[in-house]
Amino acid sequence: MSVPALEVRGLVKHYPGVKALDGVDLVVRQHEVLGLAGENGAGKSTLLKALVGLVTPDAGEIYVRGEPVRLRSVVEAAGHGIGMVFQEQSLVPNLTAAENIVLGSEGAAVRRGLYRWDTMRRLAQEQLDKIGSHIDPLARTDSLSFADRQMVEIAKVLRIEQRSQHPPVVILDEPTSVLESKEIETLFAQIRRLREFASVIFVSHRLDEVLDVCDRVAVLRGGQSVGEVTTEGAVPRELHRMMIGSTGSDDHYHENAAVAVSSEQPRLSVRGLSGATFKDIDLDVAAGEIVGIVGVHGSGREDVCRALFGAEPTTAGEVRMDGKRIDLTSTRAACAAGIGYVPAERKTEGMVGPMSVADNMTLTKQKARCTGPFVAPGKQAGLVDRWIERLSIRTPGRDTAIGRLSGGNQQKVVLARWLVGGDIRLLLLDHPTRGLDIGARSEVYRLMRELAATGVATVLLADSLEEAIGMADRILVMTDGRVATEVACPNGGKPSPLDLVKEMV
Amino acid sequence: MSTPVAMKPAAEPATAKSTARPAARLTGFMPLIALVVLVAALTVADPDFLTQRSLTAASRTAAPLIVLAAGATLVVLCGGIDLSIAALASLSTVLLALWLPDLGGLATPVVILAAATIGAVQGVAHVLLRIPSFIVTLGGMSVLSAVALVVSGAGTVRVVDDTPVAWLDLYLGGYVPMSAAMALLVVALIALVLKVTPLQSWVSATGYSESAARLAGTPVDLVKIGAFCVSGACAGFAAVMLVSRQFSGGPTMADNLLLPAVAAIVVGGTAITGGHGSVWRSLAGALVVTLLRVGLPIVGVPSAYEQILYGAIIVVAVALTLDGSKVSIIK
Repeated sequence: MSVPALEVRGLVKHYPGVKALDGVDLVVRQHEVLGLAGENGAGKSTLLKALVGLVTPDAGEIYVRGEPVRLRSVVEAAGHGIGMVFQEQSLVPNLTAAENIVLGSEGAAVRRGLYRWDTMRRLAQEQLDKIGSHIDPLARTDSLSFADRQMVEIAKVLRIEQRSQHPPVVILDEPTSVLESKEIETLFAQIRRLREFASVIFVSHRLDEVLDVCDRVAVLRGGQSVGEVTTEGAVPRELHRMMIGSTGSDDHYHENAAVAVSSEQPRLSVRGLSGATFKDIDLDVAAGEIVGIVGVHGSGREDVCRALFGAEPTTAGEVRMDGKRIDLTSTRAACAAGIGYVPAERKTEGMVGPMSVADNMTLTKQKARCTGPFVAPGKQAGLVDRWIERLSIRTPGRDTAIGRLSGGNQQKVVLARWLVGGDIRLLLLDHPTRGLDIGARSEVYRLMRELAATGVATVLLADSLEEAIGMADRILVMTDGRVATEVACPNGGKPSPLDLVKEMV
Repeated sequence: MSTPVAMKPAAEPATAKSTARPAARLTGFMPLIALVVLVAALTVADPDFLTQRSLTAASRTAAPLIVLAAGATLVVLCGGIDLSIAALASLSTVLLALWLPDLGGLATPVVILAAATIGAVQGVAHVLLRIPSFIVTLGGMSVLSAVALVVSGAGTVRVVDDTPVAWLDLYLGGYVPMSAAMALLVVALIALVLKVTPLQSWVSATGYSESAARLAGTPVDLVKIGAFCVSGACAGFAAVMLVSRQFSGGPTMADNLLLPAVAAIVVGGTAITGGHGSVWRSLAGALVVTLLRVGLPIVGVPSAYEQILYGAIIVVAVALTLDGSKVSIIK
């Protein structure tokens, strides 16, 4: 057998409190499409970043066509023929497709500091021809459809081929999450075509897709390689079992702690809520109930969540809390109404990294640490220490900057922010377990159950379908900004992920 | 000099120390070290420098700068910048000189109030119209300068009877200029109010990460407008100090204080990106900047080279005081 296009041995990467990669092995053969599967936090994105030089591993080796390499930047990785199509698109919207394709590797398209448009167009056209795309290279990128832009992105990555003089390795990170089903078919045709002259690493949350397009699937769990599957004849369930491991079968979601809810008077009642990206949303959440909202990227569920927190403008509709109508004109109004929000982007939106655990925890409910208008240091210390203990937050002290804690402990502080006031009635959780390891997730789930037991209503935008199914009492499926359907999700009668996927697309 | 971090209980210095690297701890004291080194250098160059007389003179010169820098520090802590402070102070000197004959003792609070209002208006423009503070206050600077020229008739406005503001030109115990004492009081007052109220965490959160602050329900808009308002009030108070010293108001009287004030803030180690810093740091920064201005001629630097050295020293001082670990993006 020929030398593998790319091989990874014993890759290790530590982050504070988390072992993102714990000795990962991976082999990408020439002209094969390798799937990479794993739950969130399994180490997929860290591994991919290490392969394109965005992350420097602490230990382990990377071999390109048998040669050991050190990848310190995207440019170096491109020099070795490794390129990545990013999950968030990396094109400059106000440039033409051709400019984007040659950007950063202009080569003959620039002479004496000036663009040579003909050459550039020809170079770009070559790339587009390679993938059989009919996009006009001189079209402005922001005038292209999302799917076309992705094609431009792939064409751009293929430019590295000219640099390394070898078949490239193209990494596609969740390329399908924003595409329509027809566009996905086109993309898959492209990927099969790519196999002719490149190796591909394909990452997707949708296991059926992975099995459809890949030759082989490598599975990561908790930063380790746990095995691989030849896709011929494999079924999603088998893959899924490898991803979650044997520990996934016990009460990971603390389902025994789920509380019975009465829905006589809903705590939160939303009627006809509309905004820029969603329309006519009706939603009831009873006290103690956990309602999951699922949907693909672009379904509008994140925006609904933000709108309920007053962080996104709405154009119509009414929101009632315990029967009383509230105006969600600002985040302050939402806080005053007893609504709390945990954003998906913990590091940039959820917490203020350089500020202390104590300051982050009391940022919203200032009253809880003040006597009159003044901060009472003793009161604050007692309050914060109590919650640190109650949520078993591992921190050197309340004055440690929150940015120094591990992800799970950071998230507990962010959650505690809404609890210290003792007046929380509704929690909006946007991917509350994103980037957390399994142990930390389990603790967040337990906390959610405990809060539900005290009558807090919860809206959950889960990180995975499994999580939504495991935690929610009811699941709303959103497509294109509307509620498509509602699925009951009681203990003992949980739907399967496939049931939900059918409704989502 | 301490650099207080809000609500840090005195009982817990051990934890705070253990989490900060020694180098980072040292950078925290850099403004203070720079100040001591500067005083020492000046004393070596001119043994007469470390006398009561020249220290009194220096602190008197520093007073308006300290007040200006302290107010603007709040805006910087919120992640913005106030470029209008010097122009606003100039305008305030004119207004004060014009109003003193009619309002007498009332003129001082009225001018400070007017300056605070002008500051607040700029804050409202920044928040409501979503214009970067840099642009709003750059425009404000231009407008206020022009207004000052118009109302003053483009000339100096003499103050005939300066009794209502003369108290600022007195000396406490014969040595400490009243204006310097008041400047210190302003800094202490701002620091204290921040420390004992939720404002410190609101201001820091707004400066470090506005979106996170907003999503935590922090009254970000009010905090920012408040910062501009205090910055304006400080410009007004600095104007009162200038008038008490110069017995007149002038449409460009404080204009040359803008760069020193911004320099004082950054030399003090307050991050220009917001969040990290304090008014105490700006006090140290203002003293460093003042000593440089009065000190360079003492050392014998020709006035033509003064500006070169002054600029270079400020850049170096910032390089030394900037705590890289606290500021991820330098812009």
